[in-house]
Parts: sequence; C-alpha cells; structure tokens
Amino acid sequence: MANPDKNKALNTKKLKMPFGVPGHNLTEIEREVPADEPSALPVNEKLSVVGKRVKRVDALQKVTGAAKYTADIQLPGMLYGKFLRSPYPHARIKSLDVSAARKHPGVFAVIVQGKEGEQKDQYDGKELPRLRFAGQAIAAVAAESMNIAREALGLIKVEYEPLPFVVNLDEARKPGAPLVYEEVIEDRGSAGDVGVTAADEQKGNLRGPTTSSFFGGPRGDVEKGFAEADVILEKEYRTQVQTHCCLETHGAVADWRPDMLTVYSSNQSTRDTRNDLVELFGLPTSKVRVVTEFMGGGFGSKFGAGETGVAATWLSKLSGRPVKLMLEREEEQISAGNRPNSHQILKVGAKKDGTLTAVDLLSYGTAGVGLGAGVGRVAQDMYVCPNFKMAQYDVFTHAGPGQAFRAPGNVQGAFAMESLIDELAEKLDMDPLALRDKIDANDIRRIQRKAGAEKFGWKRRKAGADTGPVKRGIGVAQATWPRFVEMDSSVMVRINRSGSVEALSGVQDIGTGTKTIIAQVVAEELGLKAEDITIKIGDTNYPDALGSGGSKTAENITPPARNATYQAKLKMLQGVAAAWQVDVEDIELKNGEVFVKADPSKKMTFAEAAKRMPTSQVIATASRTADYGGFLSGSWLGHGRLGAVQFAEVSVDTETGFIKVERVVAVHTCGRPINPMQLESQINGGVIMGVGYALLEDRVIDPNTGHQVNTGLDTYKLPYAKEIPQIECVLIENYDAHSSTDVAGIGEPANIATAAAIANAVYNAIGVRIYELPITPQKVLAALGHI
Amino acid sequence: MIEFVLNRQLICTDKPAAMPLLDFIRREQRLTGAKVGCGEGDCGACLVLEGRLEEGRMQYRPIVSCLTPLANAHGRHIVTVEGLNLRHLSPVQEAVAEHSAAQCGFCTPGVIVALTALCLSEAPLSPEKAIAALDGNLCRCTGYQSLKKAALAVAARLPVERQNRAIPWLIEQGWLPAYFDAIPGQVAQIPRCSPAFAPGRPILGGGTDLLVQQAGQLMAEAPNLLCERWEIGGICEDGDSCFIGGGLPIAAILENRTLNRHIPGLGRCAPLIASTPVRNMGTLGGNLANASPIADLAIIFLAFETRVLLNGPSGRRELPLEDFYLAYKQIDKSPSEYLEGLRLRLPGARRLFSFEKVSKRTHLDIASVNTAIGLDFDGETMSRVRLSAGGVSPVPLLLRRTGAFLEGKMISESVLGRANALMQEEISPISDIRGSADYKRLLLRQLFFAHFLKLFPEHLSFENIHNEGLLAHEKHSRFRAREGAIRLSG
Ligand SMILES: Cc1cc2nc3c(=O)[nH]c(=O)nc-3n(C[C@H](O)[C@H](O)[C@H](O)COP(=O)(O)OP(=O)(O)OC[C@H]3O[C@@H](n4cnc5c(N)ncnc54)[C@H](O)[C@@H]3O)c2cc1C
Ligand code: FES
Ligand code: FES
Repeated sequence: MANPDKNKALNTKKLKMPFGVPGHNLTEIEREVPADEPSALPVNEKLSVVGKRVKRVDALQKVTGAAKYTADIQLPGMLYGKFLRSPYPHARIKSLDVSAARKHPGVFAVIVQGKEGEQKDQYDGKELPRLRFAGQAIAAVAAESMNIAREALGLIKVEYEPLPFVVNLDEARKPGAPLVYEEVIEDRGSAGDVGVTAADEQKGNLRGPTTSSFFGGPRGDVEKGFAEADVILEKEYRTQVQTHCCLETHGAVADWRPDMLTVYSSNQSTRDTRNDLVELFGLPTSKVRVVTEFMGGGFGSKFGAGETGVAATWLSKLSGRPVKLMLEREEEQISAGNRPNSHQILKVGAKKDGTLTAVDLLSYGTAGVGLGAGVGRVAQDMYVCPNFKMAQYDVFTHAGPGQAFRAPGNVQGAFAMESLIDELAEKLDMDPLALRDKIDANDIRRIQRKAGAEKFGWKRRKAGADTGPVKRGIGVAQATWPRFVEMDSSVMVRINRSGSVEALSGVQDIGTGTKTIIAQVVAEELGLKAEDITIKIGDTNYPDALGSGGSKTAENITPPARNATYQAKLKMLQGVAAAWQVDVEDIELKNGEVFVKADPSKKMTFAEAAKRMPTSQVIATASRTADYGGFLSGSWLGHGRLGAVQFAEVSVDTETGFIKVERVVAVHTCGRPINPMQLESQINGGVIMGVGYALLEDRVIDPNTGHQVNTGLDTYKLPYAKEIPQIECVLIENYDAHSSTDVAGIGEPANIATAAAIANAVYNAIGVRIYELPITPQKVLAALGHI
Repeated sequence: MIEFVLNRQLICTDKPAAMPLLDFIRREQRLTGAKVGCGEGDCGACLVLEGRLEEGRMQYRPIVSCLTPLANAHGRHIVTVEGLNLRHLSPVQEAVAEHSAAQCGFCTPGVIVALTALCLSEAPLSPEKAIAALDGNLCRCTGYQSLKKAALAVAARLPVERQNRAIPWLIEQGWLPAYFDAIPGQVAQIPRCSPAFAPGRPILGGGTDLLVQQAGQLMAEAPNLLCERWEIGGICEDGDSCFIGGGLPIAAILENRTLNRHIPGLGRCAPLIASTPVRNMGTLGGNLANASPIADLAIIFLAFETRVLLNGPSGRRELPLEDFYLAYKQIDKSPSEYLEGLRLRLPGARRLFSFEKVSKRTHLDIASVNTAIGLDFDGETMSRVRLSAGGVSPVPLLLRRTGAFLEGKMISESVLGRANALMQEEISPISDIRGSADYKRLLLRQLFFAHFLKLFPEHLSFENIHNEGLLAHEKHSRFRAREGAIRLSG
C-alpha cells in the first residue's frame, strides 16, 4: 500500500513523550514524528480537561428527551415500511404474488428481496432467493400507516415448498444433515472477521478449518509440546448464542430525492453505511448523506446500511416519498445479529512449574446462515506457548445470521481458555494468579493482577469453606484484545471570530461518549472547557471518519481531533504572535486565556485572540498521521494488546441452584484515559453484559419448528438493576507514545473476561465445574447431582 | 371521546380505545421523548407518569405506555419526559447527567420518568426503594451502576417526610414545572365515563396481557374497559369478608392497608411480581381471567377462602376460586361474563400467610414455580390449611390433599416430609422453557419448606429438616437455619 505520508516523513521533529505506567515504571521516550504534529501531551495529572470526569456534552439532550434517534425522525409525507418474513426455517418459494398488495389503497411501494429493481406483480419462485431461516425477509412494503403496511403484507400471496432444516450445531455437523447451502459461499464472515477465509473448504454444513487469525498461524510442533508436558488437560466447552439486544432496534429513514439521498440510520458507521448505499445504488459519494446523530446502542450489530437501510432506500426511491423502516423487537431478535455459539475442545500441556508446552484448539460454532464463528484468538495469543495450533469450523444452520458482537470470538474463547487455566492451576497445585504470572508475558496484565488482587482481597480464596447451603466462591479471568490503528479518519476544527469553537466529523457516538472525548481533547489544546466546544458528528456531510467498533474509535478519533485543533490554533494565533513578536509555538492557551509562555504579561482572553483572526473562521482538517511507534501506514494495523483482568465473587445456593454475582472487580488499561467516568460506565456495561452471558442470556430455537422461542425481552433474559453485583473499576493509566493523544479503547476488553471469572468463581464455590454457558440453576443442580 | 391532560395540554380524541398510548403520544402528538424499546412492557423506554385525582389530590404512578390502552388514559394526567422539563435541568435530570447515567441515552427518558415517580410517591424512602424504582427499566449500556448512583443521589435530596405535600414541595424546589399546580382542576372537569358493559365485545383490563397478544386486532373493536370500574369496585370490608374489585391494579391490591392488616406480608409479595409500572396497570381481573397457570394473584388468593364474582347478561354468580380454573387456559366464565371481583373470607387473627416464587431471573419475571400458603395456627396445631402452587399443573392449583393432611397436625420435620411426598403426587409439572419437570418438583419442595421455615423459624431448622432425611442428597452438608437462599421473598 502506498504511503501517503512518505514525503512528509522527511520533515520531522522529535518529541519527548511520557512512557509507562505512573506509579510503576513511568519514564520518557523520544519519538520522531511529522513536523506538523502537536507537542507532546504530558501525563493526565498535568492536564486540565483530558483525564477528568467531564459530564457528557450531550447529556442535556438525552435527559430532556430532546435527543432525536432514528425512529424519532418525522419527515413530511413520510411512509412506513415493513418486512414480510418467512414462516419456515427452510423453504423454496414456489410463487409470489404481490399484485394485491400493490393495489391496496395507501400502499406506495412494494419490493421483493433480491429483486428490488424489478417491479413485477408475480414472481416465479425459481428467480427468488431460497429462504434459509424462519424470519428471513421476503418482501417489504411502504404505506401511509403502519396498519396499512401490515394489511398489505397480508395480501402478499406466497406459495412455499417447505424443506428439511437443521438449527442445532451438533445436528448440522452430522452426515446427511439438511444442507443450508448447496453452493460454496463467497461472503466473508459477518460475525466480526473471526475465523473463516474465502479459501476455506466447505463440506456439508461445515466450513473450515481455519488455522490462523490476524495474529498469525500455527506455531512450533504441538505433538512435541504435548510429549514434553508433565500435565495434559483436555476439556470441552460450550457457549450459547447471545443476541445484542440494543435498546434501539435496527432501522432507517430514507429520503430519496432527485438531487440527493439522505438516510437517517441507527448505525455504527456513517461512512460504511454511505459507502454501501453508494455502491448498491450507483450514486456518487457526494450525493449520499447518512446521518446518525443519536443512536441507541449497536454492540457490533449495526455496521453498514444493512437490510433496513437498503430496503428503506429502495422503498423511498420507488415511492418518491421518505420511508421509515424500524424493526420490531421480535424481528430484531430473529434477524439482526447475534454472537455465534461454540463447541470448543481445548487441550493444553504444561510443565510442573506451569510453563505451557502446547495449546491445541478444535472449535465449532454457528453463525446461522452467516459466517465468522471462530474463537481461537485467546488460546493463540494470551499466554506464552511455543507450540500452538487450532482448527476452527463454521457450521451453517437454518438460523439468523451472526454479527460482530462486542469482542467477537474472544468472549467465547476466553470462557474456555480461562476455565482451563483455572483447572490447570489446581492440577499443578498453584494459585491461579501465580500460574498466570508465570505464563503471561504481558507486563500490563501483571500490574493489573497485582492491583486487582489487592483491591478484591484475593487472599481470601479458599475452596469449599462454607458449610451451609449457600456457598461463596471467587474467581479470576483475563482478557486480551488487539489495539488497532486506523489512520483514515478526519476531524475538522473551526474557530469562529466570535470565539466559539466547533469540531466536525463523520464519526458517530453510539453511547460510548465519542462527542465528549473529542470536546475534551479540543478544549485541552485551546485552554477552554469541554462544554465550550460544539460537537457536530454523525453525519457524512462532515469529514469522513471510522466506524465505532473494535475498541478503536477513541484511539483513532482523538489524534485527528487534537491535530486539527493544533493546526487551527496556529492559524488563529498568527496575528497575535506577530503583534507580540513571538513565535506561535511560544504562546500558551490555558483557562480561557492566551499568553506568552516566557512573558505572561503578554496576555489576552481567548475571545480577544479570536477577534484578531484574518478570516471569520479558521479551519483545519487533520487525520491521524503515522503511528509514533513505528507503524507508518495502513489501516487496521494491530499494535500491542489491550489486557484486562477481572475478579468475581459469587454465592451459589446449592438447594435451588441460584447464582448471585456479589461483586466484580474489573482492572483495565486503555492507554491514556480521557474521561474516567465514561470509561467506568463502559466497563460496568461490559461486565453486566458478561453477567447476562454467564447466567441468563440464551437464544433458544425450537428444533421441531425451527422458530426462535424467546423473541421477546420477557423470555430472552437480560439483567436488570436488581440483578447486578457491586462493580468496582480499577483503571491503570498507561502511556506508550503511539499518537498525539495516546489513547486506547475499552469497549471489548470490558466484556471478555467476565463470564469466565464467574464460571471460575462458581467452581470455587461448589467444587464442580460447569463447562457450558449460561450457568443456569438447573445446570448447577444437575452438576451437583440433585436432579 | 377520550379526554385527558397530556403534559400541559387537554386532549380530546376519538382514536381507537385500544390504541397503545405510546403510539398516540409519538405518532399523533409528535412527542418523541418516550421511546419504543420492546412494545411489550419489558424495557421501560416508553415510561410515562399517570396521574389520577384521588381525594382531591393527584397521585402519580409510572406506567408503560406501550401497553396502555388509550382509553385508560381518560380522565388522567399523562406526563412524558417533555412534560417534566423546566428552564433548568430538574435535580433528577441533573443526577442522571452528572453520574454519566445516560450512555446511548435511549433508556434515559424512561429513567427520568421512573425517578420522578419516586419523587412524587409519598411512601417512606430507602436506598433499596430508590433502586427498586428502576425495576422496570432495561439498560444495555451502563451496567446500571451509574443509574443506581443517580437514583441514590435523587433519594438523598428528597425530604424523608413528604406526606401529603410532595407536589407543592417539588414545585417550590424547582423539581417539577409549576403547571402541575393547575392539573387537579383540569382533570376534575373531565366528565367521568362508565359505559355500560356490552356483552360480546372483548374485555380489556390494564392491557398488560392483551396488548402484548393482540394489539392490532383490538384496535378495530370497541372493547369493554374494565379498569375504568376500579373506582367503583375498590376494596371494601363487609363483616367477615372483603370485596376486591376486579379492575384494581396489582399494586393497589398488594399495598392496600385493609388487606395488609388482615394478611400480614401481602405487601412484601410486590417486588416478586412484574415491575413497578406493570403492577400499576395489570388488574386482578386480567390476572385471573388470563388463566395462566402461574398467575401470581391467583396463587396468592388460593391461599384464602376466596370466591370469584362474575357478572353478565344472565346476572351475577359466584364460585370458589379453585373451581374457576377448569383446564389449561380454560376458566368457568362465558365470554360475555366479566369478573367483577373477589370475595375474600377475611382470615382471623391466627392466620399465617406466605408466598414464594422462583423464576429464571429473580426480578421482573414470571414464575417457574410459585406457591402460597395460608393456615391457622393456635400455637400447637395447624388448621384450615390452604396450599397453592403454580407452574406444576395446567392450572393454578389448590393442593387439597396436602392441605388436608396438614390439618390438625403439629409442625415437625417429619410431618413436612410426609406432606412433601403427598404434594409431589398431587402435581404434574411438564418440562418447558422455564425448566424440566424434575427441576420444578425440586423447586416446589424447596419453596414448600421455605414457607414453614419463614413462618415457624422457632419450630424448624434446615438442619433438622435435613436430619429427617428430607433433603437426602445433601447428607454430607449441614444447613444453617434462615440462611437458605430460597429466600427470594421478603
Ligand atoms: C412485563 C410484564 C411482566 C409481568 N409479570 C407478571 C408477573 O410477575 N406475574 C403475573 O402473574 N403476571 C405478570 N404479567 C402478566 C400481567 O401483567 C398480569 O397477568 C396482569 O394482571 C393482567 O392484567 P391486565 O388487566 O393487564 O389484563 P388485560 O391484558 O387487560 O387482560 C388479560 C385477559 O383478561 C381478560 N380480562 C381482563 N379483565 C377482566 C375482567 N374484569 N373480567 C373478565 N375478563 C377480564 C381480558 O379479556 C384478557 O383476556 C406480566 C406482564 C408484563 C407485560
Ligand atoms: S416499549 Fe418496552 S416497555 Fe414499553
Ligand atoms: S444508556 Fe443505552 S440503554 Fe441505557
């Protein structure tokens, strides 16, 4: 890939930057960086806005109900769209007749999936896509009201030829199981790029094995490694399908006009969504606008235009009216994504002192009709082991497609690996933390384990100490997640002569607090307060930026924000510098004031300085430049890891099997924390998602009908306020001089270790290990031999 | 015509009676603060306040507007998050903002409404109550920690004594907009409407079951609105019995002073049933007529001598509650009859009561198994024992044989052991999504013992029950009395 920064690389400067963990090993490191990068940002302690518990800049809109989400968009003449969905888990459509629906009064457009461009009344089934899961979209209508849309769906005549189906991971693997696809699927994974490559073999419902991940492939010689081992453990683990349950369902409002397509959509990437529509509808990039001002959670399930965005756009194009298409909760649960399940056979070999000699993973998982059920990165990457191999299989079933879901693959993988390490520690008669100190080379996690153990009171850990029916137990587990560089992201900063400041970017805030951290970074650079900065994001009218996912948004949007602010600041100060006869670099901005560092008598307010700008606005747009750590180009470059350690305490009632998570201590590191309050909120949310995964959440499909049984939030169980443990977050600040802000992400690491830590705590409490999630009361009682 | 006050505005509409209030608010009134999260009463994103004029003063309660039939708003004050906005942020809004409790913000309007309801309630406050105020709010982002902090911060700023003057205080202190002052006058002017019962038309109570099942269908019909009747019905003591109106919401029954005087511990059942907003809506009539084998009120009232009062074109009739249930989802009621209420024979001073429930999730969940017991105890022996159980047979079950066995007996571990054996014969659980048949048998046994351990701590202990060999599987372990995690209630 060509390096756009190559020429600039000649023009560099040297910065002394903080490096290491304050209180442990903080030093300075010299980095050579492009000359137009801002100066080195000192550690948080020395800053005024960054690193502080700043209130969300959009809190006002949220608490007053003024924040407009996609479903709140109301356009003049707007129609309502709705999908017709398959009643069969597997069927061929024999014939389809939409004529009555088209003629129904109040109906303005009808589309048939895969044939949107053809406006026919009747379709021969041979031309239509096969139906591969119960709830798959077949057609959609746009009508004046939701009721008319529903009526119209009832008028669509479909003749089905039901076919045999398979919804169960094990059944689908058997020879002779009904085939989900007869042909080889081109599509890559939809579940977060885990496992499966285009080159992988497809046989029956099995695709794979995939033997590598973006951390590389096999290492060493596993057979030799097991031969050298003193202890070998081989266990089987199973995890369930988890659905995202974003509180706001998927949906879009599309407004197709001759001059411009505007789509309001609940999505995690305005850029990806726009690009999807540009490609699909053959429009110039400049003629498509995607807006996501507020959105109610995505957790990985909302990248790109998706089914709703595409259908809404077609319906708007055909009807000439704006169309709103929001999924109902049931449709969301069935069709809008999930975390694939897994069946993992994991084998480790170790020396008596704990040293790992071999790790071997065989895994199966189903992302339904989609791909991407791999789980191997944790086994591959967390611990030092010279000999490693894995074989990951995707298994097709007649179920809704998986989607990336908060730390795809790693959550499933961590449950197996961290359970097995716990078991290994016992077998070796070692403390689980001591074993990890031996086999984990990650320095940050070493610090985290120590800090966490102290806070949590790890020393109390004893097995089987309780004599009553309620047994307490404690457990620990770790997380690993790559740290991604994505340079293709821009922020524009505008300083107005009136003294007001705006930051504009296509990046979106999906609840993680992106608006606020941008405001903090901009404010810090200009010596202002976060609330002084107006943040305009979530709109492709602004400079393109990355999507929100993979824990990479904060890492990659704050450097462009700071760089742009720095450049705008230099422009703004030119006149002032000339008047004071100093270099712009000699001017400092702090507490709303602009002054000469060496001579503070030369001073004015920020607003006065802004008044002297030559133009009514100064504008700078910047992106993240070369990674300071030496990665010069390219997107999606992983550098280093984000580690985390979580401790859990549970009580288990051996009479009813009920587990209560009493307390979780979550120790995390994400480079320079920009806003500890938002970080804690993210961690709490990740932990609770992990509690739900460990104990409650489980998508159930009836093997007899092929229909999902728990499509509502009454039957798909999520934790509520009364179910939650005490959660304590320990944030360990860490500087590694990678960028002008040196920030890393938190979203995924927060969610990876929780279920494994709970499982280990349950074992510690009752002395029987449960190898399958969710750990329900019934499974506990069965494990104890009571039923 | 349906008339009510929405925030500051008087609404007069001829939209269908069964139209979900949320649709009316969002689509017709273009107020988009209340959100659609599930449409089934589970998430609380659509929460609004419902204010009723009671004895000259407004009483506000949170309800889920997605399941509220529009007609049930008649004569009420409905308040959305927009109706709570002041020129500044209210202390509730401030607390949510300050604690970073609005992450994606989609659940936030519902949270603001739930916490404002807490401020408006005049019941004594505690940290637990503050957190319980959020029991119907689902949040997928925050992990609830920041929400809890916000709730506690709000509670800390409220005066402990708010009796009879919550609203004036809240207005004075800038927590509520001043227009709340004028609401009682406005609401009082709305004509009452109690349409005559129209046989043949569907019956709609609080809507918490029916609007989940068939909202669309109902829109086309003009249902009989039976929660309108609850003011008429009410709860009234009449000699040795008590009438409980079929239109009364679950919360109004469980919190009723008269009933709690006669049935100690009734109020403590509330946290185990649905959520705060759903308890404010779901009616007694709906809970019983829905014919669910695990309906909590059915199980509770089976523990008393209770008669069902039915009314219809062919007049009134009554029958014992246990005879009301015929078979799975079948009740002794014709479609043109409605459930006017229950007649409860008031228990004497010696009567003891206990309700226990286990569900997949401890809170906001229907039961896997639930059970209640009512018995008279003279210090020596038990009499008039009524034991009920749900989730272990096609109907809410009165365990007659087990009850009869216990009558006249002294309480001992061995008696309970034999009673359990009998009880296991009386039930016929099936395996379903809530658990296997064996698991439900085990749960009922545990809950049965829990009743007695709760009511007679001085007579029994886990240890003794164990020593009697009742919990055979746990021979190796010892039990601590009162520590059993079967403690799901109270
Ligand atoms: C989120 C949620 C949680 C819930 N949790 C619980 C729980 O924990 N425990 C529990 O028991 N239930 C629970 N429910 C179910 C429901 O709330 C209760 O059963 C409630 O009491 C139903 O009353 P309703 O007035 O809302 O019924 P409606 O929906 O109005 O009616 C239900 C049925 O009863 C009929 N009906 C209503 N009133 C009468 C009458 N007076 N005479 C004759 N027929 C009548 C209707 O025609 C309909 O068939 C829950 C529901 C929701 C949505
Ligand atoms: S929308 Fe979820 S409770 Fe009403
Ligand atoms: S903040 Fe997103 S659901 Fe609560």
